[in-house]
Amino acid sequence: MARTSTRYRWIADAVLENRVFRSIFRHGFADSNRNRSLAVFSNIFLHIHPVKVNVRAIRFTRTYYLGGLSAATFLILVVTGIFLMFYYHPSAPRAYDDMKDLQFVVYMGPFLRNLHRWAAHAMVALVLLHMVRVFFAGAYRPPREFNWVVGVVLLLLTILLSYTGYLLPWDQLAYWGVTVGTNMADSMPVLGKYTKFLLLGGTEVNENALLRFYVLHCVVLPFFLVLLLSVHIWRVRKDGGIYLGEAGEEKPDAEPEPVAPEPEPVGATRESVR
Amino acid sequence: MKGYSLETDDNARKAPVRLVVVQGESEPAVDASDEPQVMSMPHLFLREGIALVVLSLGLVLLAIFVDAPLEEIANPLKTPNPAKAPWYFLGLQELLHYYPPIFSGVLLPGLVVLALVVIPYFNVNLKREALWQTRTRSKLAYLWASVAALSAIFLFTGAHPVWPIVLPLWLVAVLMTLPALYPRRQGAIAWLGDRSLAFWIFLWFLLASVALTVIGVFFRGPGWQFTLPWRDGIY
Amino acid sequence: MPLLDDLRMPLDEHDEARREFLALVGAAAMGLASLGTAITAVRFMWPEVLFEEERRFRIGKPEEIPEGTLVALPQQKVYVVHAPDGFFAMSATCTHLGCLTQYERENNRIFCPCHGSKFSAEGAVTDGPAPRPLPRLLLTLEQGALVVDVSKRVERDVVLKI
Repeated sequence: MARTSTRYRWIADAVLENRVFRSIFRHGFADSNRNRSLAVFSNIFLHIHPVKVNVRAIRFTRTYYLGGLSAATFLILVVTGIFLMFYYHPSAPRAYDDMKDLQFVVYMGPFLRNLHRWAAHAMVALVLLHMVRVFFAGAYRPPREFNWVVGVVLLLLTILLSYTGYLLPWDQLAYWGVTVGTNMADSMPVLGKYTKFLLLGGTEVNENALLRFYVLHCVVLPFFLVLLLSVHIWRVRKDGGIYLGEAGEEKPDAEPEPVAPEPEPVGATRESVR
Repeated sequence: MKGYSLETDDNARKAPVRLVVVQGESEPAVDASDEPQVMSMPHLFLREGIALVVLSLGLVLLAIFVDAPLEEIANPLKTPNPAKAPWYFLGLQELLHYYPPIFSGVLLPGLVVLALVVIPYFNVNLKREALWQTRTRSKLAYLWASVAALSAIFLFTGAHPVWPIVLPLWLVAVLMTLPALYPRRQGAIAWLGDRSLAFWIFLWFLLASVALTVIGVFFRGPGWQFTLPWRDGIY
Repeated sequence: MPLLDDLRMPLDEHDEARREFLALVGAAAMGLASLGTAITAVRFMWPEVLFEEERRFRIGKPEEIPEGTLVALPQQKVYVVHAPDGFFAMSATCTHLGCLTQYERENNRIFCPCHGSKFSAEGAVTDGPAPRPLPRLLLTLEQGALVVDVSKRVERDVVLKI
């Protein structure tokens, strides 16, 4: 964004050029390529991105932003989940009373709970769509095979997260949904019994199962998800960013991005270019 | 390293002890192509920001207007009818209607996960050969023989004929066959002809999973009976 | 790798003004959203309902407490005293570090087992590290019975005259 206007420049300068701001952000406003580069690679949160990116990679129709949206949904889930944790006791039957508490007493309780639940469904759906998009784009081909496998594990973690969270309200839907699920796991030939026993912390869906699912849902699974998500994004960076197809395989995009004219030195008369 | 020979000598002045050998810098993958690029700030981050805001807005609107369900407190002595798992498991639960748990709960999903993991390590068409370029007749024969065998399996081994798996199979087989029957260089049929076998298998899995899940969510009621959502509602 | 970028895209004044205005509106909207989120987040943390012990207790009829006696109620952490000039209730929680005090009937005094604080039968500190006297609590008469509200304190000279 060009900063050639002077009307509000003084506001921007007051905010951006004072000592305190400059001690936090060590680069200037992003109106030169140098500052734009610095904005990315001197920032701990942003530097997982490349400084420059292929124009074709950022088009919406390339990835439909599904990977990023999945990660964003996960972020929403973590934040709403932490808020919900302040009013939830993972013991039966107190858990159900806490759900009632959230529903009728707590300020914005229903909103946060609904947001958490919808974001959970959205995350499973987005992750599945992301997998389908990656497959049909062929972005799993060598050298990206292992990243695909990491993605499959991430899918399983997402489904497990959704499943462990499902039990926590301790209502009929939760209890019987989990009963059906653990019985399906039980029917595994050799390991089934032990899987069910470990999952439930016993043989029944009771207080122990609730506590176990709570710890899995809030600590163990998110930990592994974040770990593998970091690997997943790292691998995409190391493989050169979004997969854009083999040479010769890609049909040209419908319209090439408009090329901006050469940057003019400040002070030169500007001619309209349209 | 090619073209480099390491001299050694006891005289440290002649050949100092080498601690590390630094190769010439390799190109980062991002510089490998000649295509036009833009700065991430602002182009990428603006798009990410907009996507984040649109997603949040959509979810917040849903959260305001549609309530999450909360049924009565868990009661081990009272099983609801039907007892449905969350929607992403309902495809499996629907499969349970046709096959015993060992197959539909363990074997099939296990095989599906295994197939997913293994996809990138197989079926890489390095010659970039279209499916029907060579040996069309024998490939067609193999295709329809497999379809016949699979159809027989899924129609007759389950408790009921597993139409949600068989119908997508037939659809996929027909789509696969079209380019062989009507060879074209352009258009939709040509595009179909360019797809790999992995593509078709994945498409079949995808359509079958969607079919099973949709039936499990919308078309099953008490006793896992077939219901019509517009007539009986959604259970 | 050619860089396509609009470092200084030629904009006429209208475009610039519009761009600035939209940027300002966008920033204001984000600011409002952030403010709303922050306020909601803090307000959410305020519990509306407390799942804590009952605060008001029925003690009994005033006739059951003879003059000059102190009734100790360790479960409610309250002493009820029938003094010469009336009834009063005081907290049994030591003002030093919160231990539960005990009443020594033989010596007519209250003592704290934790650090040796001693109080008179009116709650004044006679010995030990306690910094303040035992606070008095609201005592009322309802339907012929004495009722103590442990969440309400009163001045030390307030008594309930029956």
